[in-house]
Amino acid sequence: MMQYIKQWLRDWRDIMMHELHQIFHDGGVLLIFFVAGLLYPLLYNVIYMNGILEDTPVAVVDDAACSDSRRFIREIDATREVRVAAKCVNMAEAERLMQERKVNGIIRFPSDFGRKLAEGQTAVFSVYADMSSFLYYKNALMATNFVMLHEIGSIQMERFAAAGLTDQAALQSVKPVQYEDNNPFNRAFDYGFFLISAILMLIIQQTMFYGMSLLVGTARERNHSFASLPDKLEGNGVVRVVLGRGAAYWLLYLAIGAYITFIVPAIFGIPQRGTFTDVLALLVIFVTDCVFFSMTCSTVITRRESVFVLFLAISPVAIFLTGCSWPSVAFPAFWKVVSWFFPSTFAVQGFINLSTAGGDIAAAATQIRALTVQTIVFFFLACAAVYVENWVIRHREMLRERREQLAVRVGIDREKDHRIITGR
Amino acid sequence: MGTWQNIKAVIGREFRILRNRPLYLVGTVGVITFCTVFFLSLMRDGLPHDIPVGTVDLDGSSISREFVRQLDATQLSEVVHYPSFEQAREDLVSGRISAVCLLPEGLGEDINANRQPKITFYVNGLYFVSGALSWKSLLLMTNLTNGAVQRQVLRAKGYNDDAIMGMIRPVDIDTHQIGNTTTNYSYYLCNVLLPAILEMIVIIILIYSLGAELKFGTSRHLLDTAGGSILNALAGKLIVWTGIFSTIGFILVLILYHQLHFPMAGSIWNMFLAIFLLVVASEAVAIFILEMLPVPRLALSVGALYSVLGFSLAGFTLPLEAMTPWIQGLGSIFPIRHYYLFYVQEAIFGAGFAGWWKEVVWLLCFLFVPLLGLQRLKKAYIYQNYPKD
Repeated sequence: MMQYIKQWLRDWRDIMMHELHQIFHDGGVLLIFFVAGLLYPLLYNVIYMNGILEDTPVAVVDDAACSDSRRFIREIDATREVRVAAKCVNMAEAERLMQERKVNGIIRFPSDFGRKLAEGQTAVFSVYADMSSFLYYKNALMATNFVMLHEIGSIQMERFAAAGLTDQAALQSVKPVQYEDNNPFNRAFDYGFFLISAILMLIIQQTMFYGMSLLVGTARERNHSFASLPDKLEGNGVVRVVLGRGAAYWLLYLAIGAYITFIVPAIFGIPQRGTFTDVLALLVIFVTDCVFFSMTCSTVITRRESVFVLFLAISPVAIFLTGCSWPSVAFPAFWKVVSWFFPSTFAVQGFINLSTAGGDIAAAATQIRALTVQTIVFFFLACAAVYVENWVIRHREMLRERREQLAVRVGIDREKDHRIITGR
Repeated sequence: MGTWQNIKAVIGREFRILRNRPLYLVGTVGVITFCTVFFLSLMRDGLPHDIPVGTVDLDGSSISREFVRQLDATQLSEVVHYPSFEQAREDLVSGRISAVCLLPEGLGEDINANRQPKITFYVNGLYFVSGALSWKSLLLMTNLTNGAVQRQVLRAKGYNDDAIMGMIRPVDIDTHQIGNTTTNYSYYLCNVLLPAILEMIVIIILIYSLGAELKFGTSRHLLDTAGGSILNALAGKLIVWTGIFSTIGFILVLILYHQLHFPMAGSIWNMFLAIFLLVVASEAVAIFILEMLPVPRLALSVGALYSVLGFSLAGFTLPLEAMTPWIQGLGSIFPIRHYYLFYVQEAIFGAGFAGWWKEVVWLLCFLFVPLLGLQRLKKAYIYQNYPKD
């Protein structure tokens, strides 16, 4: 028994050291792990550093030209969201400025604006927003709405007073109910917080997957497998291979992951409200999950480069599946289920809740539970993959014959094709 | 053999490669089909609806219950009831609900007695879209409640409904969304996301296709087939690939603007031009990367790192002008950035040639870039003196 454990540990260590050796002697993998893993978090933070778009330029068409419309324009200009970049004499001019992208919105006061205000009717002004980016729209809408709500208050005071209410009664009637809005975790509605967190977590998962797949592909091209078992084990030792290889990536990615989850947010001033141990716990389980996830998925890679050809587009898909753009509560059921397949889905939400919102571990309990289940499932899948791989290796001849037969049946002359492609 | 025969031979050879490696078909048609189905079906509703909003009704009066019912009745929100603020707060932090609305004790009585009670709401702005939408809908509900109370007071004073409207709503905004009248998320994102994925596919597949000649040591034979001319060799390969990629692009444009009727102020024909230019410009980038780095594995990694940045630097989510100045300049080296600007002019403003000719010039400029390294690639193809995998 002691003998077995000793042997097990020795094999495990050898496999791990072999994998580490592979990683550090492969330029492509190093590029993915260290350039993408270390520099891309920085680059993305620089890109989304000012997640708040301020002072969106708008054009104003003031057909009313009264003191009221001028006051509105001044107040809109004073908001953080919008600045009045041009005053146009007519809509045509403003539309041209918008088409030339000198402004991203138009605000128009109709000629009856002042009259309607004076007569106690509802005065309407128009906002035309450039929808090429939703942030332009959001800014135009927020700025005008703030000004409108503010103005409504003071105009109502006048009208209620004119209607014969006393000051106190008018004040109470203008705002029978008051409200207080809080956005505690993201005061300025910074677009970047969720996206950055999603990107950071996704970099951990995707770079590990791509790097590992590159090595799997290389091993297969060199005609030995990523999963071949030491001969002396006679077909046993699947767990040793999985845990041994996994440990290499696990160690490496604990370091890269700690850098991404703790150091990068600190450099760029992303809120870190969570406790260190909570976030660390999430990171450890996420990295473990990613190791087995990558091991399972990389089994389908037969050639070194094919991982990019097949799976690069998974990155934008996985980003959307975290719910950072289209909210996950509005996912169609099918894609909701698909999103459970990726560790990033839960890790991103867990990370946001723990680190950015500063919840306690209970706030990420669902996600941590899901990650744990995933880890277990992917571990067994990874073991199964190694087992199948070894079966394939032992039955290679038979499989090749099958393939030849298939080519003949479909009517492809593989030899002739080969001659024309390679000249040999 | 003449130039044309050589090119034809390369084309024939390329088709044989295609049918021998299913990877190419999966990597182009398979990937774009999956992504198109994914993005279009994920956001098929256009606007999210029934976003969970927590309410803590400490009052239980008819006014507060009416508030909750009205909120629930909006298309945007779906109310989740909580007995205490603590539980609601926990769910807010964990993202299960996007906002909490606290209706204080004595709300109804205070309103009737003119004591101006305060409704408090907390929004989780980290979940950006659902947070912003819930915030909007809570704000609307509060204003409606205010209006309803005011209407009662004014009616009691004997005002007619016209006059009341002027009192309750002295100012109003009518909003026009240019190019996307329904604030449809799918229109906003898929218009650029799917072409960006096409750009990614073009770059990766072409680097792989050109790099595979080095990797499998078949590059000399390719040059032989092409009569010793690297231009013929590239021409033959590019004719095949440009055909495949632009067909995919044209189908994409047809799906978006013809089948699904995405807003189009200009002409769909100009979008065909745009997507064709996007394809050839991306091909140029791919060739350039392989010329500079004739090691397939490194070139592919670089191509991957380059093309994922295109999604951010196209500037259709966070506008480029919000980024640091040197990053703004970086945007220009991505074909998708120019495609996006072209699309804005054509589909949103319908400005036509006068609006987008600069982007066409930009995209055409990409075509000159690979000329820089042609000889380098030829040497690599002849001597095969770079690491192979």
